[in-house]
Amino acid sequence: MAILGTFAFEEDFLAAAKNLQSSGFDNISLLSPLPLEEAQEILGLHKSPVRHFSLAGAIIGAISGFAMAAGTALVFILPTGGRAIITIPPFLIITYEMTILFGVLFTLLGFHFVSGLPAWRDRPYLSSACTDKFVVVVEDVAADRVAKADAIIRDAGAEEIQHVEDGQ
Amino acid sequence: MFDHGQPSYADVNKDILSTMLDTGPKYWMLLGGTMSVAGICFFMPWIYQLFVGVGAAGMNRNAVWGSYLSNFIFWIGLSHSGTLLSAVLHITNSPWRKSIYRSAEAMTLFSLMTAALFVMVHVGRVWFVHWSFPIPNQMGLWPNFRSPLMFDVMAITTYLTASSIFIYMGSVPDFAAVRDASTGLRRRLYTIFSFGWRGTAREWHTLGWAYTFFAVFVIPLAVSVHSIVSWDFALSAVPGFHHTIFAPYFVTGAIYSGTAGIVTVMYCLRKFLGFERYIGQVHLDSLGKLLILLSLIWSYINILELFSGWYGGTSFELEAMKFRLFGFYAPLYWEMILFCAFVPLLMLFKKIRMSWNKMLVISILINIGMLTERFIIVATSQPRKFLPDAFGYYLPSWVEISITVGSFAIFATLFLIFIKWVPAISLYEVKETLKPLRRDA
Repeated sequence: MAILGTFAFEEDFLAAAKNLQSSGFDNISLLSPLPLEEAQEILGLHKSPVRHFSLAGAIIGAISGFAMAAGTALVFILPTGGRAIITIPPFLIITYEMTILFGVLFTLLGFHFVSGLPAWRDRPYLSSACTDKFVVVVEDVAADRVAKADAIIRDAGAEEIQHVEDGQ
Repeated sequence: MFDHGQPSYADVNKDILSTMLDTGPKYWMLLGGTMSVAGICFFMPWIYQLFVGVGAAGMNRNAVWGSYLSNFIFWIGLSHSGTLLSAVLHITNSPWRKSIYRSAEAMTLFSLMTAALFVMVHVGRVWFVHWSFPIPNQMGLWPNFRSPLMFDVMAITTYLTASSIFIYMGSVPDFAAVRDASTGLRRRLYTIFSFGWRGTAREWHTLGWAYTFFAVFVIPLAVSVHSIVSWDFALSAVPGFHHTIFAPYFVTGAIYSGTAGIVTVMYCLRKFLGFERYIGQVHLDSLGKLLILLSLIWSYINILELFSGWYGGTSFELEAMKFRLFGFYAPLYWEMILFCAFVPLLMLFKKIRMSWNKMLVISILINIGMLTERFIIVATSQPRKFLPDAFGYYLPSWVEISITVGSFAIFATLFLIFIKWVPAISLYEVKETLKPLRRDA
């Protein structure tokens, strides 16, 4: 079962989230219409793994950028005025651009991987969370713990509490 | 921050989404008008040129580059402030960015698309344009990565990709808001566009990190793009082109013209979409101050360009300089100086800086000046190359003038389509600037 508590005030929403967390409910999602640092702190979200994707992308881009410029120069040789076929300064510009291109693409990949989006299955959601309400979602609640979760959410000042069966 | 009182979160959704979801006949008439101008002024002359050849343009033996390339630089330049300004202001956490950045980023994207069209018009045989990409082929032919034109291909492709991702990712939470506010096919489409976004703390956290990384990647990229465009010129040993100052000159000019473009676009958004509540005096004041700073840097670099040409003392460079200042194109040069160096000084007066109408006029004059600057760079250097037997003149033909006019219609068309598909102001970032609603209040 999933429990959804809707709040009008940010402070009540955060209080409910803290109390649920300290009472041992671990499958909590905090839905808000804008990013809230406090909500992220309650869930223990600090450094995101997205940064590893960005770094990996930048490194792969740099290597492949230089390899592409040098490789194509070697397979299609254009001698100009006795200059070297693999010339560092112009190829560094290609390397620079490819570093950024792959860095951006891998960051995008990282976003999807870490955030779990696109979402392939329906998850508990209230559309007011994209407008002006703050919603606490507690999922996989055991039947004997429902009353406790309800009480915490109600005591924090929820406007509305909804119960949703799994798979609905 | 807000001229007409602080809106609620629900007001923000209602005000901004209504500009997307409610479409009146005026919008369709305007869209029809811009599409018609784009078709008649841009695509028809281009088709004509494809049939008769690039001789339809005014370019000749000495001036093999003409207005197509000056337009290309202009549109690339105009693209610069959007993503760049948005990224810089995101990193420095400037709150006044939040109401204007979405449209500024869209400006980047559409300017880049328009610029890319000019490359296709310029090259003549557009059906071979894919040869500039490193695609394996039967001929075993590969592009020459030592050429600045190939730097351009790589830089602009990267910039277009990065800018598209930057604007798209920033819009995902707003797509979810559109999804929730709509029905039918639109709802299904925005369910796909928003990837099933719910606004969980984890999603916001991941988006925040990714967005910051996008910004960090985009800043050096934007600087590199216009530097690379400048090297198309500076790496050739042509008097008037061959200056080491060209990269910062182009980058400054690009940010300058782009910032002026943002003022023009913000004026239109306020006027036609009714965003007075969200785009206010604080934005105008900040953009005005930024424009003054950029105009001073731009003027300094122009003086420096003349100084380095004079100090270098080669007769070819002096001749090119004399031709630019006092020759056939001198009226255009002095018009550029007037519009880009002197007119912006009026913004030193707060009364002018705080007036939307006056700022609109100044921003348009700056961009006329910047378009002229790009024309002067292209038109005054090549036809004044080294020996007098290579001297000549270049004037754009009716085909080029028409295509230039049409390019503005293409930009306007893309922008008009954009405001009906993407919220023109970021919903969640505007909400971040509002004071949180407290129980005791």
